[in-house]
Amino acid sequence: MMNTAACNPMIDDYFAELERKMSDLPETDRQEFTRELRAHVFDRLEQVAVATEADCRSVLQALGTPEEITRQYRLERIMTRSAWKVSPIAILRTTVRWALTGVQGFSVFMVALVGYLIALSFYLSALLKPFFPLNVGFYVGDHGMTIATWPAPGGAPLLDDYFIPICIIVGYLLTLGTTLLIRFVLRRIRSLKQRIA
Amino acid sequence: MALLRNLTKAEASDKWEAQLRKGCLELAILASLWEKRLYGLEILRVLEENSNLVLAEGKVYPILGRLKEEGLLQSEWVEAEAGHPRKYYWLTAAGRQKVVSMGHFWNSFAANLNQLLKPVLNGKGR
Repeated sequence: MMNTAACNPMIDDYFAELERKMSDLPETDRQEFTRELRAHVFDRLEQVAVATEADCRSVLQALGTPEEITRQYRLERIMTRSAWKVSPIAILRTTVRWALTGVQGFSVFMVALVGYLIALSFYLSALLKPFFPLNVGFYVGDHGMTIATWPAPGGAPLLDDYFIPICIIVGYLLTLGTTLLIRFVLRRIRSLKQRIA
Repeated sequence: MALLRNLTKAEASDKWEAQLRKGCLELAILASLWEKRLYGLEILRVLEENSNLVLAEGKVYPILGRLKEEGLLQSEWVEAEAGHPRKYYWLTAAGRQKVVSMGHFWNSFAANLNQLLKPVLNGKGR
């Protein structure tokens, strides 16, 4: 049986750091993953009868820093999970992470953000209409079309009876459209990645 | 082994090489499982012997996780007679199919590129 006493504090520190870096991820996935990495570390150390601090340091070095490993873990998750996600929050969260990895990720994130923000503004308009009936509406004026203006623009808004349902439908379609678009892009990039490999 | 690692680390400063290595890693992992089921460290050993693809060993595990998620691999914790349990991986039917098609693609891809590189590497024509 191996003796890793000299190593244990270093290993504990390493995994504490890893756990911290992964703390926002689902616990079961995280535990499964760190368990496997621990098995790897002990397997490596088993090659020597009594593991010294130096052995341990080189094993952990070869493994990579907790930061590197976490980054890879997140990237791989993005490539699988979010391709199937539907919730805007989940989509935004994964694209935010992805945005930090490069220009490509950043542009996808911006598209998602703009799409959802416009959708949100339609929902808000529908919500505000009952409270500010004269300010919120489809007004066509000198400055083009406006939806919500202060002070009230005056004149008759277009399609006022249908304003709330139209806003809700347009908001919903925009949310759905953005989600489908981002999922399509994520899957596309994933399959491209596979083809390159 | 240490020598190999030093060498690959120096090379990794080259971005193109890093990208290429990354892209090939998935194929190499799948191919390493062709003969039998292996656990993480065994896969790494096979890769060490046959390629210099791996820079940070820990990065292989998230990739294994994704390949499993995609249905190309299956895995199971196996209790060892002495020591601790290990997570073994093996190819699913879809995984075997995938690695064959990836292998064919790789072959024709490499052949075309080698053809293209012939004059470059022969140093002729200038």
